[in-house]
Amino acid sequence: MKKLLVLSLVVLMAVMGMSVKITMAAGAVGKELEVLMNQIKMFNKIYPDIEVQLLPMPNSSTARHDLYVTYLGAMTPDPDILMIDVIWPAEFAPFVEDLTNDYKYFELDKFLPGTVKSGTVQGRIVAIPWFTDAGLLYYRKDLLQKYGYDVPQTWEELKKVAADIASKEKINGMLFQLNQYEGLVCDVAEFVHSYGADFLDANGKVIIGDPDNHARLVKALTMLKSFIDDGVAPKGVLTYMEEETRRPFQNGESVFLRNWPYVWSLANDPKQSKIAGKIGVAPLPMGDIEGGRHSATLGGWMLAINKYSSAAEKDAAKKFIKFLTSYDQQLYKAMNAGQNPTRKAVYSDPKLKEAAPFMVELYNVFINAEPRPITPLYTEVSDAIQRHIHDFLLGKVDVEKALKDLESELKMITGQ
Amino acid sequence: MLAIFITAFFPLIKTFWDSFFSFGLRPGIPKRFIGFDNYIRLFHDTRFMTSLWNTLIFTLISVTLEFILGLATALILNAKFALRGVVRAAILIPWAVPTSVSSQMWKWMYNDQYGIVAQILYKLGWLAPGTPILSEKWSSMVAIIAVDVWKTAPFMALLLLAGLQTIPSELYEAARIDGASGWKQFTKITLPILSPTIAVALIFRTLDALRVFDIFYIMNKSVETMAVYNRHILMDRAFTGAWFGYGSAISVVIFLIISIFAIIYMRSLNLKFE
Repeated sequence: MKKLLVLSLVVLMAVMGMSVKITMAAGAVGKELEVLMNQIKMFNKIYPDIEVQLLPMPNSSTARHDLYVTYLGAMTPDPDILMIDVIWPAEFAPFVEDLTNDYKYFELDKFLPGTVKSGTVQGRIVAIPWFTDAGLLYYRKDLLQKYGYDVPQTWEELKKVAADIASKEKINGMLFQLNQYEGLVCDVAEFVHSYGADFLDANGKVIIGDPDNHARLVKALTMLKSFIDDGVAPKGVLTYMEEETRRPFQNGESVFLRNWPYVWSLANDPKQSKIAGKIGVAPLPMGDIEGGRHSATLGGWMLAINKYSSAAEKDAAKKFIKFLTSYDQQLYKAMNAGQNPTRKAVYSDPKLKEAAPFMVELYNVFINAEPRPITPLYTEVSDAIQRHIHDFLLGKVDVEKALKDLESELKMITGQ
Repeated sequence: MLAIFITAFFPLIKTFWDSFFSFGLRPGIPKRFIGFDNYIRLFHDTRFMTSLWNTLIFTLISVTLEFILGLATALILNAKFALRGVVRAAILIPWAVPTSVSSQMWKWMYNDQYGIVAQILYKLGWLAPGTPILSEKWSSMVAIIAVDVWKTAPFMALLLLAGLQTIPSELYEAARIDGASGWKQFTKITLPILSPTIAVALIFRTLDALRVFDIFYIMNKSVETMAVYNRHILMDRAFTGAWFGYGSAISVVIFLIISIFAIIYMRSLNLKFE
């Protein structure tokens, strides 16, 4: 009798182990989804017993956040794999699987350190970096050549070059993403970091009031606003997001553009871009101050596992994540979807150099990209920065008032 | 009856109940009873008060304009002319387009670089070239109201038109024989008979406008209405602190404000549901 029970249990486990179905919340934007579907086919050649079902997510990051809040708040076991923005791990940490013991399994020591850091919450690994992003400076190679300029190294230089070429060509000088949304925090962080300043320090302490840092913040923000006030960037940047700046740039209506790597392949596509082949990419300029540096905000997406999934599903999910973040698959994704690898070694692959030369050339930008504050309160911190800095850029308040209001709100949020 | 209770009253009662607690969806945040604290805090929250005023201003102006335009359109469409059916169907197109789609469409038309509406305003000299319509508070409020009026006036017109068609034409004939002027016919016959329809149309639109979300959320997030602010509290802050009870309190306040408006309308227009 006992034997029979054990036997039937073994058979049952074998049957259950034979096929596992997992669902994955994934991006659904054109190329991205297509590439992922192909990757699933490749994965099934190695693991025919794991069925991966995709749950396409809305385009906007905020809408995805709303959906995850609904899923995780209700503690549903689906989706098993969550594709999360680099700023969310701390907030979602209580709802996702602890992967600290799988550090070796995912070979995280071979990843870009900044991306691994974004998935680490109080020493625990909660998300595996899938692809990375960093703010870049796009410029019109042809126009810079025509007027004999080098790629600007500081914001002051950029402003001069942009203003000069813009007035001669009758186009915009520079385009940012300064609508009141998460992108504004990215753009502003790049300015602030490039002047050696910050809103919060590495431990989450509000440092806006520290005298040296305060002076740097004022310089950085004043410089950013002067782009709008002096007409180098159109006033409309205060309403633009990524796509509203990419379109005018690739229509030849701007000399410079700050944007993410995805722009490269689109702006070089002769079918939709008027300036294909005339574009250069460079690190964003430094602050004109002692201790200024080139800075890029770290973006990108990570993969996490739902804590409420079953053990078998979690196991299958780990296998799929390992597959997606393997060397070959990251190279495949980089070449076909234009999304930057998170593994260091992929950047020296000759095939990548051919397909997306700028990714290889700007390796230093990606390895040094700076994360936004890692805190479970991130969405609140970001919301406060968005509102106060947007008010300043609109001219509703001066820089001192904006920083003072932001300081007291951040202190209230973080309980300092 | 049970279905109504489960789908309508249960969530309502639950929301009321939740609004007296301090809790969040993040595990480890204890649920504490705090009585009316959420409500007291709400009225000291400048961001909520601003969103309340924004909503009221939006409702007042947009519903008034929609009513006037809708009534005018309904009167025109009530007359007999060729292709009346086609015209009646055509004016409903703005209403048929989903709000999220039309908001995005208008957002592009307001864009300072390639938006057609912006270019026309610049050409006419009504706006300085390059002014971003959707960045400043007032211009963006006007722009959003314009979209809402464009979208909803046809709906208002259709509702009123349905009411107009129930008025027997003999009444007007009798009035004409008695020598009543067009204006007199309108104020003595049309308006009184139409008033229940007007009440229903106004209630529909006002209640819609008070909980407006999508137009503002898509066109300009920096001008918040109550619903947009509540989304922020319930979604962006769900896992970051003890905000869930607070969000429930906002929902209750929106519910109460809407109820007050509904009651005022029904009373002042002597509308009885029998």
